[in-house]
Amino acid sequence: MIDLADVTVRFDDVTAIEDVDLRIDDGEFVTVVGPSGCGKTTLLRTIGGLQTPTTGRVRIDGKPPAAAQAGADLGFVFQRHTLFQWKTALENVTFLRRLAGEEPDETDARALLETMGLEGFADARPARLSGGMRQRVAIARALHLGADVLLMDEPFGELDEITRDELGVEIRDVWRRERKTVVFVTHSVPEAVFLADRCLVVCGQPGRIEADYEIDLPEPRDANVFGSRAFQEQVATVRRTLHEAHDRDRERDLGRDQRRERDRGRDR
Amino acid sequence: MTTRIRTLAGDVFFPTAALAVAALCWWAVAVVGDVPAFVLPAPGAVVARLVGNPTLYVHNAWYTLEKVLYGGSVGIAAGFLLAVLVAYLPWFRTAVYPYLVAVRVLPKLAVAPLLLIYLGTGTETAVVFVALITFFPLVLSTAAGLERAPSAHRDLLRSVDAGPLERIVYVDLPYALPDVFAGLKQSVTLAVVGAVVAEWVIADRGLGFLILMGSENVRPDVMLAALAVLLALGLSLYGTVVLVQRGVRRWLGLEATG
Repeated sequence: MIDLADVTVRFDDVTAIEDVDLRIDDGEFVTVVGPSGCGKTTLLRTIGGLQTPTTGRVRIDGKPPAAAQAGADLGFVFQRHTLFQWKTALENVTFLRRLAGEEPDETDARALLETMGLEGFADARPARLSGGMRQRVAIARALHLGADVLLMDEPFGELDEITRDELGVEIRDVWRRERKTVVFVTHSVPEAVFLADRCLVVCGQPGRIEADYEIDLPEPRDANVFGSRAFQEQVATVRRTLHEAHDRDRERDLGRDQRRERDRGRDR
Repeated sequence: MTTRIRTLAGDVFFPTAALAVAALCWWAVAVVGDVPAFVLPAPGAVVARLVGNPTLYVHNAWYTLEKVLYGGSVGIAAGFLLAVLVAYLPWFRTAVYPYLVAVRVLPKLAVAPLLLIYLGTGTETAVVFVALITFFPLVLSTAAGLERAPSAHRDLLRSVDAGPLERIVYVDLPYALPDVFAGLKQSVTLAVVGAVVAEWVIADRGLGFLILMGSENVRPDVMLAALAVLLALGLSLYGTVVLVQRGVRRWLGLEATG
């Protein structure tokens, strides 16, 4: 279980996220959606222990993230630059596990690459793989690590739409089989709804959790889901929430600026 | 097929032709123009000098190479070590880096006479001088290269609790390789310059010394022969670095570019 209590992260004079309380149960697929600069990546990095909260507390199964890191219990997938160019796909998959101090299992790594649709590419180097294939390798690598928690930071952000949808179907499929806890950050609303059991809408500066939606869609989730009414409606709801929060924030900022102007006039 | 012929013409024919034309001009000025040999010896005379007494040039080339190898090794090792310190110790970087950049402007050749006072006229002066001159390009480019790795790789290593040594070896160093080799190429070139200047100053032996003697005795044929050997020496050293770089790239499975 992931548990955040009153987490605030500040960089110099910018507050990225403020007073975030969040509980994620084992085996949940949670997506975090929001505009750029709302602190969603910071939230993910804080959960994974790459960012230390300024105040507040993060616990993964009751222990600080550093303990989860040491136990090879956090599988990160980043947006880009995630593979070592000088290693083959297979070596990339096994290497991280070795670095984590665990014995890699080549048979398992090959099997994972195959499930990710990379038959015949185990010995290819990243330069020969397309963007989508590289992200498949990165996902296989996180799975081979054996981590219970997968933390994904816009992993499909640089891919074309078709590859995105395809990988979305696959990652949901992997999750159904393995039941990992997944926290998936994206700025695409349809992606966030399609993948999630639970969708967190993050807004504002500093970022806060604006809404927490249970997503109800049929299983298995495949390309048919995209056309369904239930999907469209939930996408519309999340989108509305994002826009409303955005408008409210803007009005508040405008009001604050106007008050400031007025005060300045009075001082004069 | 056409590509191959064009490549052959471009890579081999034109440079060879240019060299032949240059030699011909030289020969024309020296022989046809009847310039005395103590001013400009003919190409043939220089070749004859080389072939006539090869041991002289081989021995002196070895003495120069010795200074390059010892001094270069010390300079490169020290430069690399300092670059690592600059890259990983913020306080050290703040303290030292501005001076490293500033001292780069200083012509290191001007320091040679000072070394003469401190270290005397032995080979060690030459070794220290070569070390000094090879040190700077390597330290600056390596320090910059060690910061080139994308932050996602560092994050990835941190996420599995990998230590700083693993980060240096598996992430930062591979990304720094192009800069390290760029620095090394500058360093070996300067090492030869350093060795020659050192030989002028301490005047013991080596190709630099041979050139100095040739000048004092008005023997341009000896000087030109020594220069030719020096050129070959410099090119071999540079070529060695290029080959090592290629080998490392192949070993790492990177395409042979850059």
